[in-house]
Amino acid sequence: MSDKDHSSAEDKALVKAAQQGDMLAFEELVGRHRDKIYARAFSMMRNEEEAVDLSQEAWVKGWQRLNQFQGESSFGTWMTRIVINLCLDQLRKQKRQRTESIEAMDQESGGVERQMPVLTVNPTAGLERAELRQRIDKAMAQLSHEHRTVLILHEFEEMEYKQIAKTMNCSIGTVMSRLFYARRKLAALLMDLKKNEQ
Amino acid sequence: MEHDNELKLQAYLDGELPEAEAREVLKWLAHDQEAVLLQAELKNTRQALAGAERLIQLPESREFFWSKIERDISRVERTEPAQSKESFFAPWRRLLVPVSAAAVLGIVILSVLGPMSSSSMAENEVSSEDDTGFVYRDDTTGTTMVWLSYPAENEVANQEPATKL
Repeated sequence: MSDKDHSSAEDKALVKAAQQGDMLAFEELVGRHRDKIYARAFSMMRNEEEAVDLSQEAWVKGWQRLNQFQGESSFGTWMTRIVINLCLDQLRKQKRQRTESIEAMDQESGGVERQMPVLTVNPTAGLERAELRQRIDKAMAQLSHEHRTVLILHEFEEMEYKQIAKTMNCSIGTVMSRLFYARRKLAALLMDLKKNEQ
Repeated sequence: MEHDNELKLQAYLDGELPEAEAREVLKWLAHDQEAVLLQAELKNTRQALAGAERLIQLPESREFFWSKIERDISRVERTEPAQSKESFFAPWRRLLVPVSAAAVLGIVILSVLGPMSSSSMAENEVSSEDDTGFVYRDDTTGTTMVWLSYPAENEVANQEPATKL
């Protein structure tokens, strides 16, 4: 396959060529999906340096496991799962190093979100897409790792409860509880941003 | 509202409830204002997130990023053959270590018990009564066998072929 062929080939053909050892085909796949993989790592870690390192590690793992890719999902989705798992491993390592805080224990039991009154006003109503993205990003950055991860997996990766439980290595009940409080906390943060804007 | 009901409401919103339970939630929403408000809040948050992920670009050029990946792949592939060589011997090591340990243990037991159990060791005994006979005794079966060589085998062997019987 020539360079021109690589740039015009579909992911499927590039994966097949890469599975036979074609490094140029793999380079093309990296070029196409590098931003998406980095963005997912950054959204979970909220740290540029860690996100670059983890996305790089994900690509090396992707090359090593390429023969396991059967094409059941798209190549981009498969690579995203790899980087998510690496980020979760990294977050678990960091959590082990942290002392068990009250905040960490509140992930499932709710903490302050438990007493929060229901918002009767939509905090994002009338916002333009760019502004909405910015606010969502700001609010997501303030969530705990556990709350952020469950939201990313459910809302951005569109995973079902069962898949999330498997990925996060916890029960479906824990996923449901974390998701509920993550949503409530996010709503409150978005409301704060709305108030600060006024 | 009970937490289980809050979670049920959320599961209904996410389409994770079986049809029968979803119908129950619908009935419940028809007469519970608190549930209606909570459902609206959860729905708003969910809708705000849909497609609102910040678009981020890798802060490194394609060439530089790829060069790091390529270098890591080469490094990993260089170390893999050594690992696979090691893994070839690993099963042997796993097999030989316990066998060796058992052998050493056996030797130790025998060396400790050996002098004390001389009577049991006498079950099988070969003794030479004199130069021309051997006795084999097996106490477990109560067998005693005696070999007598007369004339001595060596003497027969030294005799002339013509006289050999």
